[in-house]
Amino acid sequence: MRYLRFFIPPIVVVVIDLMLQLGAWERIASPESHAGMSVAKKTALEDPAFRHIDFVTLGSSRPVYGIDHALLAKSAAEHNQTWVNLTVAGAHWMSLDVMTQWLAQHHPELRGGMIALSIQDFMAPGNGTYELGIAYPFRTFNEIPEMAQHVPFDWHDPATYGLYSGLFEYHEDMQDLLAHPQRRSKLLRYFHALSPQQVLAGNADETSGMCATPVSTLADCVNLERQGHVADPRIVAQCKQLHGWAGVRPDLQPFLHGLAADERLQRARDLIRARLRSLNWPIPPLVVLMPTPSVWLNEALPAGAHEWALSVLEPLLAEKKISLLDYTKMFSGDAECGAFFDLYHNNVSGRQKIMEHLMPEVGRNLFRSTSESGVLLPVAGSSTFR
Amino acid sequence: MLFPSIQFVLFFALVLALNQALRPWPFAQKLMLLLASYYFYAQWNWHYLFLVWFSTLVDYAIGLRLPRSPNPKRLIILSVIVNLGFLAIFKYANWVIASVNGSAAALGSGLHITPLDVILPVGISFYTFQSLSYTIDVYRGAMPPRRNFLDYALAVAFFPQLEAGPIVRAREFFAELDGPKLVRMADVQRALVLIAFGFAKKMVFADSLAPIADAVFDHPAGAGFWNTLIAIYAFAFQIYCDFSGYTDIAIGCALLLGIRFPQNFNYPYIAQSIQEFWRRWHMTLSRWLRDYLYISLGGNRLGEARTLINLMITMLLGGLWHGASWNFVIWGGLHGAYLVFERVGLSRWRFWQSPNRAAAVLRWFVTFHLVCFAWIFFRAKTLGTAGQIIGNLVHATALRDFSMSHQFGLLLLIVVMMATHVLNSHRDTKERLGTDRGPRFALAMTCVLLLLILFTPNHSAPFIYFQF
Repeated sequence: MRYLRFFIPPIVVVVIDLMLQLGAWERIASPESHAGMSVAKKTALEDPAFRHIDFVTLGSSRPVYGIDHALLAKSAAEHNQTWVNLTVAGAHWMSLDVMTQWLAQHHPELRGGMIALSIQDFMAPGNGTYELGIAYPFRTFNEIPEMAQHVPFDWHDPATYGLYSGLFEYHEDMQDLLAHPQRRSKLLRYFHALSPQQVLAGNADETSGMCATPVSTLADCVNLERQGHVADPRIVAQCKQLHGWAGVRPDLQPFLHGLAADERLQRARDLIRARLRSLNWPIPPLVVLMPTPSVWLNEALPAGAHEWALSVLEPLLAEKKISLLDYTKMFSGDAECGAFFDLYHNNVSGRQKIMEHLMPEVGRNLFRSTSESGVLLPVAGSSTFR
Repeated sequence: MLFPSIQFVLFFALVLALNQALRPWPFAQKLMLLLASYYFYAQWNWHYLFLVWFSTLVDYAIGLRLPRSPNPKRLIILSVIVNLGFLAIFKYANWVIASVNGSAAALGSGLHITPLDVILPVGISFYTFQSLSYTIDVYRGAMPPRRNFLDYALAVAFFPQLEAGPIVRAREFFAELDGPKLVRMADVQRALVLIAFGFAKKMVFADSLAPIADAVFDHPAGAGFWNTLIAIYAFAFQIYCDFSGYTDIAIGCALLLGIRFPQNFNYPYIAQSIQEFWRRWHMTLSRWLRDYLYISLGGNRLGEARTLINLMITMLLGGLWHGASWNFVIWGGLHGAYLVFERVGLSRWRFWQSPNRAAAVLRWFVTFHLVCFAWIFFRAKTLGTAGQIIGNLVHATALRDFSMSHQFGLLLLIVVMMATHVLNSHRDTKERLGTDRGPRFALAMTCVLLLLILFTPNHSAPFIYFQF
């Protein structure tokens, strides 16, 4: 015991950390947290009904709201296929990579799927440390170096310690449990009661729109902020994000015409291409660029952001590694305010419009490729709203 | 370089390794510690190292000359002028200028003095007091001058204490330097307990309580009675955990380097009188003020009235030592007034002196709340803010805004902290764990490690006492 007592504490802490990394906390993680949402998907996939899956939708909160997952599942079922929705709010290329690797290992039967993001997701290699939470339940130790390419470890930022430590990854969740134990208990009861079908084939329905207070320019944002308490605080907060982007609005056009892009953009481009190339789904993934409100396109995102995203995907299209549906500019003018419920997400009305265009493409690109006498026909191409 | 940072951990690990490796060569060991201390200070702002060096050189030279000087009084006055002169320029000049400008404006005068372009050097209040204690002790004949310059320079600049104390007197430091400087396994264990508890106090408790206090002290308007009361309690424990946490880490680090520092805190919030509070709070400052200011003023040797005046002067200057602001003067003045009132009023009230439990609880309750009341002035940025905070406490609709959800939880936290504070005072946990040979030490350290990882807020605030 003379020296052992000095070594026991770090050893115990390391053991607890490993247990957390191996999933010991997953059952009680907050279902509202990024990790919790991801855990819900993983847990639902354990249901026998999803032992065999054919197609998957991956992506951020934009497809969470903007894609009709129930309709996709129903259509797939009509073709005797299973389609699951693994979209998680906040998901970016790191979580997509980790999830697709997990799917490759646990569901090698997977034929293809849809990756739905926005052009904003092509601007940086990572989406912030919170994305670690989404990736955590699906990751293996081997994937840590790849994850670090998206969210680099930083001594000065304890939030990045989650890359290597389960204790750091779940520490906010544990604090929340201690602060609100009854709330956590209620939430867990509610979410555990959801059927796997609801989790993997259900929709997030948001019916409200923005026509009462449309925001189509930054000036509209300024007016909204002036209204104070009358304005929707969520939109006001999103307006602040818009201002933040607009304040540093670089021009990406030169990068599209031969000039070397800055290091961050280059890294994003290379990582995105590498991730998509590494997918060995029998049918090339359908990459969907989700609709983006015009205020983002015209005044906040870097000039040429749309073209940049397309340029990242271009070689993959040429290599027939992906099919592309570009819905970035699907909504404009008066129709826009009725299709979004905030400055990022589509409401049910917008979703219906998206699905009107998307379903034929899904049928053509995915279902047809698998239904014809079992022969896989990789049909790659692109469709764009200009 | 802050204690709770990876840079400090790496820096300290290197210093510790070198300190052990250089044990056979004391000169090299001390030189390494001195250079490490200067490097540590330079990480904040290397320009201000010149101040440390100047103060060191002047007091070293004065110390050497004092025993041989025909007029030692003149030399000690020079030492006081140099040391307090630095404080006056860097800490108080702009405050005086602002006060003069403010008064001139109020009187309609066109007088305007341009403020000095200086920043407050970290730790200046601490190392000037330490340096001053040396020359005063030599002047009083309490110790011989230190001929070894390296020893003296290290006494002034030793990095664990350089930025926020404890205020170690030069003779105490030399006694440690001259001692065997052996670091036994028991010392390592005790040091680890102190460091772990210090980090937990600072990073878990102080940094978690800070937003509760900041929310009200930064925006007092409309905070309501309960939020304000909780914010004051939160600040009382924030500053205790912050400063005593820093001290624990400093004492632990010094112990690992073979230097024993005096205790600086002894569960101050269990005090049953303000006098007892000052024997438990920032003990090395209290001791310094008593020995070098209160006693120099005459202490209690010149009659009751003069004793009370001396008490008041000592506490007012003690308040001013903390910062150049009228708030600190009022804070010190309040403590001075409490001490005076205890001496002339409460000491004659028989019930107050009664040993029974009810009187003890009342004494504790009153003392704790008097201390908390004074903290309002310490924490508030302006006198106006302090007034608003006090206004929130006496608001007529005081009790209506109590909501069970948040405030009850926070009150519970403070009650729990107070309870552990009281329990610890009877059975000193740190001391017992520091000597435990069984599994309790391992268990406690595991818990503290987990506590640190799980409950450290993402954004750590700097130590409060760094600004002094």
